[in-house]
Order: sequence, then C-alpha cells, then structure tokens
Amino acid sequence: MSLNKPEISRGIDGLLLWLYILLCCIGIVSIFAATYREGDDIVKTFLSFKTDYSKQSIFFLISIVAGTAVLLTDSKFFTATANLWYAFGILLLLLVFPFHSNVKGTKSIIKFGNALQLQPIQLCIVFANLALAKYLSRVETDFTKTRSQLVAAAIVIAPAILAIAQSETGLALVYFSFFLVMFREGLPAIILIIGFSFAILVVATLLVDPDILALILTGIAGLAIYIMRRQIKRYKSVLFGILGIWIVCVGIQRFAVPLIFDHVLEPYQVKRIYDTLGKDYIPKDAAAAADIAKNTETKKDDGDYNVKQSKIAIGSGGLTGKGLLKGTQTRYSFVPEQRTDFIFCTIGEGFGFVGSMIFLSIYIALLFRIVTIAERQRSTFSRCYAYGVASVLFFHIAINLCMTMGLAPVIGIPLPFVSYGGLSLVTFSMMIFILLRLDKDRQMVLR
Amino acid sequence: MEVKKDILWRVSLCFLGIVALSLFIIGKAFYIQQVQGEYWKSMSDSLHLSYRTLDADRGTIYSEDGSMLSTSIPFFDIHIDFMADGLREKEGKRFTTNLDSLSIGLSKLFQDQSAAAYKKQLQAGYKKKDRYYLLKKKVSFDQYQALRTLPLVRQGRNKSGFIVEDMEKRLTPFGLLANRTIGLARTYVDNNRQVVTQNVGLEKTYDSLLKGVSGKRLVRRISGGAYVPVEGSEIEPENGKDIVTTLDVNIQDITQTALMRMMTDNQALEGTAIVMEVATGKIKAIANLGLMPDGSYFEKDNYALKTSEPGSTIKLVTLMSVLEDKYVTLNDMIDIDGGVWMLNGRRIQDAEKSPKSHLTIKESFEHSSNVAMAKLAYTYYSKSPAKFVQHYENLHLTSRTGVDLKEEFRPMVKNPKRKDWHMQTLPSMGFGYEVMLSPLQILMIYNAVANNGKLMKPYLVNKVEKDGNVLTAFEPQVLNEKICAEQTLHQLQECLAAVCVDGTAKRVFKTAVYHAAGKTGTAKVNDGNFKYTDGVYQSSFAGYFPVEKPKYSCIVVIKNKPRSAQYLGGSVAAPVFREIADKLYAGDIEDMPVYIAKTATDSIKYKWSGYSSDTKNILKEMNIPFIDSAAKEEWGYVYNDNNTPGIKALAVNENQVPDVKGMGLKDALFLLENMNLKVQVKGKGKIINQSLAAGQTIGKGQTIMLELD
Repeated sequence: MSLNKPEISRGIDGLLLWLYILLCCIGIVSIFAATYREGDDIVKTFLSFKTDYSKQSIFFLISIVAGTAVLLTDSKFFTATANLWYAFGILLLLLVFPFHSNVKGTKSIIKFGNALQLQPIQLCIVFANLALAKYLSRVETDFTKTRSQLVAAAIVIAPAILAIAQSETGLALVYFSFFLVMFREGLPAIILIIGFSFAILVVATLLVDPDILALILTGIAGLAIYIMRRQIKRYKSVLFGILGIWIVCVGIQRFAVPLIFDHVLEPYQVKRIYDTLGKDYIPKDAAAAADIAKNTETKKDDGDYNVKQSKIAIGSGGLTGKGLLKGTQTRYSFVPEQRTDFIFCTIGEGFGFVGSMIFLSIYIALLFRIVTIAERQRSTFSRCYAYGVASVLFFHIAINLCMTMGLAPVIGIPLPFVSYGGLSLVTFSMMIFILLRLDKDRQMVLR
Repeated sequence: MEVKKDILWRVSLCFLGIVALSLFIIGKAFYIQQVQGEYWKSMSDSLHLSYRTLDADRGTIYSEDGSMLSTSIPFFDIHIDFMADGLREKEGKRFTTNLDSLSIGLSKLFQDQSAAAYKKQLQAGYKKKDRYYLLKKKVSFDQYQALRTLPLVRQGRNKSGFIVEDMEKRLTPFGLLANRTIGLARTYVDNNRQVVTQNVGLEKTYDSLLKGVSGKRLVRRISGGAYVPVEGSEIEPENGKDIVTTLDVNIQDITQTALMRMMTDNQALEGTAIVMEVATGKIKAIANLGLMPDGSYFEKDNYALKTSEPGSTIKLVTLMSVLEDKYVTLNDMIDIDGGVWMLNGRRIQDAEKSPKSHLTIKESFEHSSNVAMAKLAYTYYSKSPAKFVQHYENLHLTSRTGVDLKEEFRPMVKNPKRKDWHMQTLPSMGFGYEVMLSPLQILMIYNAVANNGKLMKPYLVNKVEKDGNVLTAFEPQVLNEKICAEQTLHQLQECLAAVCVDGTAKRVFKTAVYHAAGKTGTAKVNDGNFKYTDGVYQSSFAGYFPVEKPKYSCIVVIKNKPRSAQYLGGSVAAPVFREIADKLYAGDIEDMPVYIAKTATDSIKYKWSGYSSDTKNILKEMNIPFIDSAAKEEWGYVYNDNNTPGIKALAVNENQVPDVKGMGLKDALFLLENMNLKVQVKGKGKIINQSLAAGQTIGKGQTIMLELD
C-alpha cells in the first residue's frame, strides 16, 4: 500500500500511541513526585535540564521526534536492515568490553563525557527483536526443524551471554522473554515445560535441603515407574526415560545449581535471590563475603532493605494514597533507586491501591493492544516483531512489579516508559514506533 | 485447521499467562496495601522523623598550674538484645552459626576471657532471652571500632541485637588527688534503667557551667538507615565551660601524702588537711581520707567541710576575745587549779598536765589549758555571753564560709537567747566544745591571723574559661578587713609562734628550718557514732608558716580510732603539718625568707675547701707548687700563704656541724649527709653560707640550709 502523499497519521493505531504517551507522562510525573523538593521553582527546574524529570521530558521529546522519523521511513527498511542492526548491536556489545566505563556493579556502560552514557545491551533488545522476526519470517525457515529452533535461540541467547559477561544478569534474562515469541511461532511446548521444570527445580534446590529434595525426586521417579509399570513392560525405553530424567534432575540439584551459584552468579546476586525466597545466604568463603559487603556498602544496595522500604511505601499508600507529592517514604528518598527501578512505589504511595490498579490496567491495555495488533498482521515479520515487543514489555513489567513488591529478586529491571532513564525510554519508544510503522502497513506482507 | 488450532491455544495460553501474572501482581498489591497496610503505614510513620539530643562535651577542671584534674573521654557500654528479630528468626540460626566466631572475636578483642567463656556467657544470655544483656562496660573507642567488624555484630543492630550506648567517662588523671573536692560526675543506669547523674564537689557546684547545654536536632531517616538533619531545626549544643581551680597539683600531692602517711601509721578513721594561701584565701590543696572497710583509705567524704566540735584550736578565738576586749594581757597570771576545775558540778580537765599550777595567759595558751580557757570565757562573759558570741560573728564563724562546694555544713554557734544555751555552754565554748565548726572555718581564722587580721573568704575556683578565653575571673574576697586590733593581732601571732617553740607543738618543730605558728587541738569526739566516753579523739593542728612572712596556712584534722595510742594534736596532726610545711618550704624556697646563721665574714678573698687528696691532685696536675700542711687529713682547705696556695686540714668532728664554706656541693653533701643532716640547697656554685654554724652540735634529723654562689 503506497501512497502518493504520505500522511504519517494515516493507519496509525491511535489507541497504542495514546497509551504510550499516557505512560510516558505518568513516568515524568512520578519522577517529578519522587525527586521534586519543596521550594524548587517548578517551571525553572523543568527547563533547567538538570533535574531528573526535566531530563526525562527531554528524552520523551527526543523519542517523539525520533519516532516521527521512524514513522516516515519505509516499512521495508526494517526487514531489509534487521540483520544489519543486529550485527551493529553485537558489535556495540563487543566494543563495550574494551571501552566500558567504571560504573559500580556493571561493566556494560560506555560513557561519552559526563552527560551521555550508552548501555548497548538495552539498545540491543530492539535489534534482537528485529533479527528474530526477520529470521522467523524467512520463507526458507521451517520452524518445526530443530536446526531453525537452535538458530533462533542463538539469535537471542548471544546478546544474553554477552550481557552476563558484562555483569548484567537482569537484562540478560529479558532476552529469554523472546522464547514466548518462538513459542507462538511453533516452538514445541515441551521446551517451555522443560524450562519451567528447570526453574521450579532450581527454586526447590534453594528452598529444600539437598538430601530431602533428592529423596523427593527419587520418590517422584518411583511413583512414575509404578504408575507407568504397564507401559514399561511393553517399552523398556520408558523406564530408561524416567531414570534418565531422574538422573538429570538430581544432577541439576546436586551439581548444576551449586555450580551456577558458586561460579556464574556474583555472590551478591545469589544473596538477592536468597533474600527473595526468604532464605539466609551464608557466603561460602571470605571472598564471597567481601563481594557482598562491597555491593552492600550502603544499605541502598541491600536488596532486602530496598524491598522492605518499597513495601512500606506501597503499603502506606492504602486504598486511595497520600496524594501527589505527599508521600513521605518516596519523598525523602527512603526507597533507593525509586526514580528508576522502584518508581512504582511513588505511584503506590501517592495514589494507593486504586491508583496502582488504574496504572496496571493501562499496562495491561497496552499489552493486549500490542497482542491484538500482532494477530492482525499479515506478515510474519510484523507479527513476530509485535510479539517480541509484547514479550519484552510483559517481562519488564512483571519482573519490575514483582521486584518492587518482593515477589522477585531485585535484578535491576526498569519499568518501561515510566522509570527514569533516557536510553531505556528511547529504546522502548523506538520499539513502539517501529511497531506503529509496521502496523501501518499491516496489509502488506513484508519479507 | 490444525495449524490455526495450534496457534489459538498457544495464544490463549500466553493470554492466560499474562492474566494470571497480572492477577497475581494485583493480588499482591492488594495484600500489601489493604491487608498489611496498617503494618507498613505504622512503620513508615515511626521511621522517618525523630528528635536527637546532641550532647554537649563536659568542661574540664584544671588545677591552677594547668594540669587537668577532671576531663571527659567517650566510652561505650555494650548490651545485647537476645530477643532481636534477626537473632531469633529461624530458631536462632543466625545466633548459632555466628556464635563460635563471635566468641573467638570477642575473646581476641578484649582479651579478658577465653572464647569458651564468652560462648558460655552468650549462650546463657540467649537462653534467658535477656533483652538488655550487659556484655561489656566502658569499652574504649578503638575497641568499639574493632567490635563493629566482628561476625554477627557487623550485621547491624536489628540482626545482631547488639546495642551500643555511648557514654562519657569522667577521667581524673591524678586519681585520688583532691578527688572528693574535684568531685564526681557519674552517670550510670540504675536498677530501674533510669539514667542517674550523681555529682559532688566542684563537679556539682559548677555542674551547670561544666555540662554545657545540649542541643536538639530534628532528624529524618532516609534510605540506607542514615539520618539527615532537617534544615533549620537544629539547636547546636553548647559545650561545657572549663573550670580553673586554685588547687596546685604538687601541693595537693604533698598534702595528701603527708596525711596518708599519718593516717596509715595511726590507723585513724578519717582525716583532712587543707592548705590555704595566706594572702588570697585560695585553697591550694584539700585532702580528705576516710578508712574503708578493707583497711585502705579513700576520698570518701569531704571532711574539711563537715562540722564537729573543734577542741583547742578554737582557743584562739577565746584568747582573741579577752585580749581584744582588754580583760587581760598575755602576762596576767591565771590559776589552773592543777588542771582540774569543778564548775557547777562539772569537771573540766586539761588534756596534758601543765608544768605549773599558775600560768601566764600566754603559757596557758601554749600548753592548751582547758581550765584556763574555760575560766577566761566564764569569768569575763558570763554576764554578757552575747558579747562573746559577737566575736564569733565578726569572724564569720556563724555562717558558712561560702566556699565553692555545696556540701559545706552549716556551723553551729549557740545563741545566748535560745533555750539550748545553758550554764556550761560558755566555759565549754571557751575550749572548743558546744560549738560545731568545720576545719575549713578554723583554717580561715588562722589564715586571717597570719594575714595581719584580714579575713579572706576561702575559694577554690580561679576562673571559668571557654576555649581558653576567660569568662569569669574570681578575685580574692575580703570578709573582714581587720578581725581585731593590731595589738591583739601581734599578741595572737606571738602566742601561736610560742606554741611551736615552747608549747604543745614544741617537739614537732624543734628541727624545722623555718618558724611555724599554730595551735594544737585534741577533742573528744561525740558525733553520731561515738560518745565522749568511747575514747575517740580528734587531733588537729592549725597554723601557718613561715612566721616572719606567712605564705601558707594549713589545718590538719584527724579523727583517731578508739583508744588510739597516739591521739594528741601535737603528736598526730602537727607532724602532718610539719611534713607539709617542710616540703612546701623547700619547694617554694625562692619565695621564702632564708634564715642563715650569721657568721663572721671571711677576711680572705677566696677559700676552697674539700676532700684534700682531690685538691692536691688538682694542684699537682696543674703544676702549681703548694704548701701541704694538711698532712694526711681527709678534709682540707686552701689558704693564701704569700701568694702560694697552702692546704690546711679542716676540722671535721663527729656530731658537730663542719665548716663547709668554700666547698663544692658534692663534697658538702657527702660530708653533711654522712652526719645524718638533711641538706637543703639554694643557688649554685661554691658554698658561701650555711644555716647551722660550724661547731654546733648536730640534732637528730636536723636540716641544714646551704647557700651557694
């Protein structure tokens, strides 16, 4: 569908656009509420570009301008350059290793001067999404084949591995949300089931005494053998299957999990996971204890403390909240990182349960709108891309809110459009605008 | 169709997942805000605003010469709350896992108990669920810093239950020295967990100045557990001011040592010694020792301020009265009835039997005749007792001295108009009974006599300082310009000097190199604990020195044990005075008049004497020919024999003071100290004068003053 006189508003999904703008505005107001100090001249500080809410507004404007530019491009541009962007993203990620700056707790940031900093791993989400969509929408891709599934997995896991190497485990997890897209595109459910089982097993390993868990697993295996005794009589392979699964499970709980916790994750991250599960983490050795101490130099870095403060903030909001700028917890920096990862506290405290519900329903509306948009695409590329956006947003929102309320470990994942952070806002905005652009051409089949 | 169905269930599963998670989140939000809302709200309100007291630093008490007598250092009391949430949770897992390492750490840090002992202690406290278990008191700042790094403790108060209270410890660098007078500033937590502040002495009197004003600050708790002050709400603490006392550490030391020695030797119950500067009324030293149950002595109470029946030292007032009112002169005779006088059925007896039956007034004072003094008072004032009491008033003995100590007792001088005045009162007062005065008051009177009749108010504080700037300076205060006529004053001074030469203190001052004046006192004690018949005596001596130019006045009052072998003022209190006076005289020698026995000036220009073989060696070394007339005598001197040095033997006889003029100090010391003389030296160079003339017989323990030039 080509137009002689392209009107950028034509064919644009208004609901999605307005939900996006609404969320961005809520974000700016929340940051304002969290960082505004009595006596500041509001107009002046908004124009000063020095306060966080002023900066966020600027980035919002930048996003709108860049988004308009995106809307003015040809939708084929994205299919055509998807792999190129991905390559560019990976290159950026690799460049981080020699050029990263000294920022505490992470090795993923490149700084340009004092004001600008770039975290390629955030940006790369868009690129990975495009590349995955591109790969899945290829005519020659037969997603029922294991090889294709492995390639698709490789596309999303590669940046995740680099992210882990840059000590950004939280953001690495975001990439796993793309498996939802693959699931929609026909990834065998068994893989997800195995994934979930693995997750449950890991949690169980942490919660239950290893010996007892081994006994439980053995019991389950025994029970399975008993129930399936007829099939086993017929097919010996079933027995070996069950025994194999049993061995793998015990192996994971006995060796793999301790291995991951001792060697892959940083001790302070392990501590946070333990904190979330309500367990005490006893550092293995002095080095581990030192790492925890280093990362919890101030209580601000102590996840346990954060969550408690965050809960106090949300909990003291009550039904209707204390009102904008009235929250004491958030106003006086009780909640650490509350303009970024813990921004939800400001809303929870200021507007209470009602406000939180309205806020959540806006997100849910946004997600459903994106899924609806995804399903109405004619081209696989657009659909996969839209699902990617939905998955990533869903993952961010879910983990962030759970994190804020103590349901998930504190892993530093921002709330899309709302959390303070220029790059995060621009990245999510670009995702939305690319989606809007693709959706504009939903009748086309893009390759 | 198959594909469509497949996709549909996948999509609906995704939707389901989203909805489920959303519901989960909503549920959790609801739970936190509605179900637990009150809990979190209460935490929020209690958490972020509170008033903090900003403690002011307590001021320091200095001696006159700038030594710190009492100052503050911080220390910490460590308690454990064994019911702390973090410690108890999961059946005390945190406690049990850290117990061993903590015990080892504590043992290493404090080094007072073994790790096992600490472990046992902690376990016991944990078992008892003590919420305020005292682990260690008075932990220094360094130890506290180290403590905070120990396992468990470093997890913070909530998890470890460790409660740290910072306290201020008052430190008296000189320990017992004037301890009671400087006072205590103790803050402790009593059994009801109330903070009790207990002050005595100067710490109490000047508490309001020393403690300063504590400030207040409104703090808001922010993330990280830190407190930030709310701007504009702060009231800065004002640190305490410093007090510079009149006390002199050296004099105090001398006084205390002297008193301690006598108290210990005599196993006395309690005693005090005060040294005052004559011209100003400054208290230079004030020692108070009381017998503790374990037999040691401690600054238990400020006996200097406690009143008691003074005994004979107050005879000075009786004497002053009759002289001032011109009833008698010093040479009038008085019949002492052999030392026992029956007055209206009461027996008045002298403590020491006097040598004669009739004495002059002066002699009766010298020998401290109770009969004489009772008679004087009774004879001349029984018609107008008010006139007698008036003298007490003139001497400011009827009210407190107003010294800077709040524990001062109110003196008791009976009023003739009152009912408690009876027939025996006047004669009793004449020799120091039926009147209650504190040692400090007696000293004040003796000081006035020494100070040519000018009655000075005793005081302890020179100035109040803040950061080295003088805020208030206290000047000497005159209570009475002239306590009596000049003539009376001279008579009193004469009598007091006579006591130390011919009277009850004669033996004590026989060998003194200066002249002292004073009065002994021996009073039977009748206080709450003892009756007159218990045989408890209070020995005292009040006086001043040197007589010619009084510099210090001093009083020593010692309450002896019942039936003590030594109990007379002359044998218990006066020796303490003597020891104090000796050392002060030696220490202050530059200011003191020196009394050198006059000798005829030498006709020869120079004279060197000393160990003769040394002298000869020197002359030989220097190739100076000399005439040796010393032969083999040990000591010799060089004389001028027609411009040729000659050496003559120096007569050194046993028990006779040798002629040490012309000697170096080394030789003189050797010679004199071998003769059991105590040597005091002034100046430097060759000896030009000696206080004991050559050839004089040496008394035991005599002191010789040498002047060098």
